[in-house]
Amino acid sequence: MAIATRTQTRLAVALSALGSFVILVPVALMFVTAFKPDAEIIRFESLLPRVWTLDNFRDIFGNSQEIPIFRWLANSLFISMSVTALVLAVDSLAAYALARLDLPYGRHVFLVIVATLMVPGQVFLVPVYLMLNALGWLDTPLALIVPPIAGVFGVFLLRQFFLTIPRELEEAAAIDGCSRLRVFWEIILPLARPALCTLGIFVFIGSWNDFLGPLVFLDSVDNYTLPVGIALFQTSYYAEYGITIAASVICTLPVLIVFLLFQKHIIKGVMLSGLKE
Amino acid sequence: MPTSKTLYRWSGYLFMLPYLLAFAAFLVAPLLFGIGLSFYRWEMLSPVPPQWHGLGNYSEALTDTYFWKAVWATLRFVIMQVPLNIGLALLIALAVNEIPRGAQAFFRASFFFPTIVSISVAGILWRWFYSSEFGLFNAFLSPFGWKAPWITDPAWAMKSIVMMTLWWTVGGAFVILLAGLHQIPAHYYEAAAIDGANVFQRFINVTIPSLRPVLLFVVVMNIIGSFQVFGQTFMITRGGPEHSTRSLVQYIYDQAFGNYRMGYGAAMSWLLFVIIAVISFAQFRIMREER
Repeated sequence: MAIATRTQTRLAVALSALGSFVILVPVALMFVTAFKPDAEIIRFESLLPRVWTLDNFRDIFGNSQEIPIFRWLANSLFISMSVTALVLAVDSLAAYALARLDLPYGRHVFLVIVATLMVPGQVFLVPVYLMLNALGWLDTPLALIVPPIAGVFGVFLLRQFFLTIPRELEEAAAIDGCSRLRVFWEIILPLARPALCTLGIFVFIGSWNDFLGPLVFLDSVDNYTLPVGIALFQTSYYAEYGITIAASVICTLPVLIVFLLFQKHIIKGVMLSGLKE
Repeated sequence: MPTSKTLYRWSGYLFMLPYLLAFAAFLVAPLLFGIGLSFYRWEMLSPVPPQWHGLGNYSEALTDTYFWKAVWATLRFVIMQVPLNIGLALLIALAVNEIPRGAQAFFRASFFFPTIVSISVAGILWRWFYSSEFGLFNAFLSPFGWKAPWITDPAWAMKSIVMMTLWWTVGGAFVILLAGLHQIPAHYYEAAAIDGANVFQRFINVTIPSLRPVLLFVVVMNIIGSFQVFGQTFMITRGGPEHSTRSLVQYIYDQAFGNYRMGYGAAMSWLLFVIIAVISFAQFRIMREER
């Protein structure tokens, strides 16, 4: 800023650099420690490994009986991608109707939907568990794929976005005889690509990192998602840090890649969530 | 014709049908079912079928020592975590805001990254850092002859959980606050500078009032999130030592899915909702009146 003196700016840069160093060190340590032999982890002597080894990864991949990490990876990918696709499809239709279709009592319906945001997620945990039990969905991917479709955040976000699209575009199309479904498909959706992208990333990361859901709804080791799998096998490999840290690296890589690719979308999405009211 | 027009308007709900079905089945139904459940004695492991229990679950919670211990542990977490988190986030946002815009992206991304690391990974890492024999922190302290009981002493454990939480979540509030700072028009600061206001006065008289709505949002969201703390304590301490870090959500989890006491778990989750609702309502009132 124009008013800040040069010393102030220097101080700000130093503080930011120090802060981001402190924040990133744990992640960096995780990546290098995954390549350390166990003895070096237990008796800490240097930040970087003296001997670089792939043993930790070999131990994980070679023990698919106890640590079926590829199963967990496949489960996580399948669940997160299904949730993302379903939420985008269902929420965009609903949000379009709420933003544009002049529904009778539309405002009331929207208020009821948004009101449920006030209820913390834990309140749903026990009843949903019993419902999934009655449906026979416990310990299947359905338990983690279907309930998130009811999530409110996406409907809210997309509705706000659709409201910013000028009405003239749709009116012109309607005069040309387009049905509402075609207007939605050919005009609204292409314009909404950035919002859909942001929502998709949020839903994907949220589903990938979900912890309480899989912990409660899944039972057999083969059905675990990656985060819950590595969290629970950690208890049996209590002191074997090498394996657990290497597994953590594998669990973090997909999220890191998504983050590096879509960093701008993600951060813009978070910023908007705080500024709109 | 008015009827066909009305019909056409109602037909818009066809677009909403898939969502409304999911909403009814997995939000409204569990909400109502959960309220009902909280009035039942519903033990999944017992051969006795669920039976009406009136307010029994609620009165049990209010007289359960472990429930109050969990409430106290959660409160301690909230009271330490929220001011530190928001204060730190604001400090970082103020610093990064002084840097030229082009270079800000790097810092934004670095501070934000931990928030998208899975809690199991974050938990594994910090459990290792805090471990008393093999831990990284004690390895750094040992040359000075120090050794800290990070997660083994009840007086330390919650503070260690708070420190880890700051690392994990400070980036969220920071990004939002930085966006808020960007929205403050530069001429406010120029005007204040012409009036002879120093850095501190500008912060109190320009930054804080302009940032107020964003700050309120961040504080309320942080309080709500902090009352729901679970993953960190579950991963790092499992609620120990001596229940000092067993949060309310973990106690609900332990009762509902450890002992399969569904009615009791449901009742306590409604008590959690009441606590959160009262506090967020009070906050909005206080902030509005101050204006």
